[in-house]
Amino acid sequence: MEGKRRNVLKGIFGATAAFFTAPIVYAVGRFISHIPDVKSGGSATLAASEVAPSKLIRVGEEPVVVIKEKDGDIRAFTATCTHLKCIVSYRPQTSDFFCKCHRGEYDTNGVNVPGTRPKRPLTELTVNKDGETLTISLTPLKPQNA
Amino acid sequence: MSQWFTSITHALHLEGVLAALKKKPVTHHRHTIWYYFGGLTLFFLIIQFVTGILLLFYYVPSAEGAHESVKRIMTEIPFGWLIRSMHSWGANIFIAFMIIHMFSTFFLRSYRHPRELMWITGVILMLLALGFGFTGYLLPWDETAFFATQIGAETPAEVPILGEFVALMIKGAKEVGGATLTRMFALHVGVFPLITLLVVLAHITMIMLFGVSTPKSAVVRGEEKYFSSYLPKELAVWLIGFAVFIVIAALYPWELGRAYDMANPTEPPDNVHPEWYFMFLFQTLRIMPEWMAFLGFGLFLVFWAVAPFLDRHAKNKVHTIVGIFILLVIAAMTVMAYSELEPVGETPGVLKVQGDSDVLNAIWFFAVMSLFTAFVILLWRKRNKRLQELENGGAGEQPKI
Ligand code: FES
Repeated sequence: MEGKRRNVLKGIFGATAAFFTAPIVYAVGRFISHIPDVKSGGSATLAASEVAPSKLIRVGEEPVVVIKEKDGDIRAFTATCTHLKCIVSYRPQTSDFFCKCHRGEYDTNGVNVPGTRPKRPLTELTVNKDGETLTISLTPLKPQNA
Repeated sequence: MSQWFTSITHALHLEGVLAALKKKPVTHHRHTIWYYFGGLTLFFLIIQFVTGILLLFYYVPSAEGAHESVKRIMTEIPFGWLIRSMHSWGANIFIAFMIIHMFSTFFLRSYRHPRELMWITGVILMLLALGFGFTGYLLPWDETAFFATQIGAETPAEVPILGEFVALMIKGAKEVGGATLTRMFALHVGVFPLITLLVVLAHITMIMLFGVSTPKSAVVRGEEKYFSSYLPKELAVWLIGFAVFIVIAALYPWELGRAYDMANPTEPPDNVHPEWYFMFLFQTLRIMPEWMAFLGFGLFLVFWAVAPFLDRHAKNKVHTIVGIFILLVIAAMTVMAYSELEPVGETPGVLKVQGDSDVLNAIWFFAVMSLFTAFVILLWRKRNKRLQELENGGAGEQPKI
């Protein structure tokens, strides 16, 4: 009888404690786990002469590498490594991309080299050329790369 | 004992506790030397608290202001270069002593009953120390710090189910940026110190209650009272540690890398890598998938935390073998990580400062005086001990068991 009463009391105590702590835990949890939205999309312009032979720029929130290939073609890729988000470097000698953080590699077309850490390719972006001015937008060039 | 001290202990009802503490013995055996590392770890933790609080007077926790404020601390604020250098060097030395203390406790099996809880608080402190290291690394907001944090924060994201959420919680945003910096700052100067203080208090209270553990295998050559005999030696060791530390911090002031500019992304510096105590993890992640590395680290942590409960038999050799294995893996990974770094010249844009010769001379003098004081304390203690032995009727000549 005595034990039963104690159990009931314990239950009431526990429920009251939960009643007061749960909302606090919820509010604190929501407070610290707020992640602001990032604006997607956007574009940036630069002069073609700045790409010699590569240039890192920021388009909206995204780091982008603009490269000039040997035949003079200008292309742009997302510069964020698909492994752990370091920034990739363009290697003009081999016309490919390299990530210093874990030696990730991507070929000329931004496709990850099997056997290195990145598992997904870089995204090639749309480049519009108007005379000397390049406009890079975050629109993927090929939908399959997105 | 001074009257002040007597009245304070009386007012706080601490006489009983003090009387018990005065009787606390420290045993002598061939492993006694390892006892000093716990005290040294505590001493360097205190240095971290003091220098950290001082840096807070000038540090600006924002992506726009952080690097500039650290630069200002190093170049404009009197003794700022020294205090920052002490904080950075101190962090590394603190972690080194903590690792030595932890592994010596493990190998001497000092975690056994009744000290299981003490060991667990120690494991929590190890995690907190690593947390301090990780969160503090980003605060100067230089390129290396940025990319090391980028890698560290993104790594959990590769682990299935909760990983993505954990990575977001660390970053406080979709990408590492200003929000990450303020988050790291809040953890580094608010959350972690508070928890550390509580856990350290618990850890120290337990050592006061249980005393130091004598390894089962050790041949006890004698014992001494903690307060009258061991504490002076410990103080002397702290002074020696401080003398060496202040000279290193002054002669090799910690540098500051080039600021990370959010608006103009840059490639990571060559050989981007974390601090030495994360190198084994960095290397593990280079050579195996993230989930596997995390699984390994998780298993290690679980084993580490419950070790005292698994180790019940005096003749248990398994723990020693597992401990050596863990140590070897960590050492091998660390050596591998360093050997894979490519030789690079001077990193451009690194800010180096040097104290002027007057200050350096003063620091040398201060260090020598610390060593001298340590020496005097040791001599004084030896003399007291000798006198006590003579009073006890030449007990010094009797064999001690
Ligand atoms: S972040 Fe690029 S290879 Fe790991």
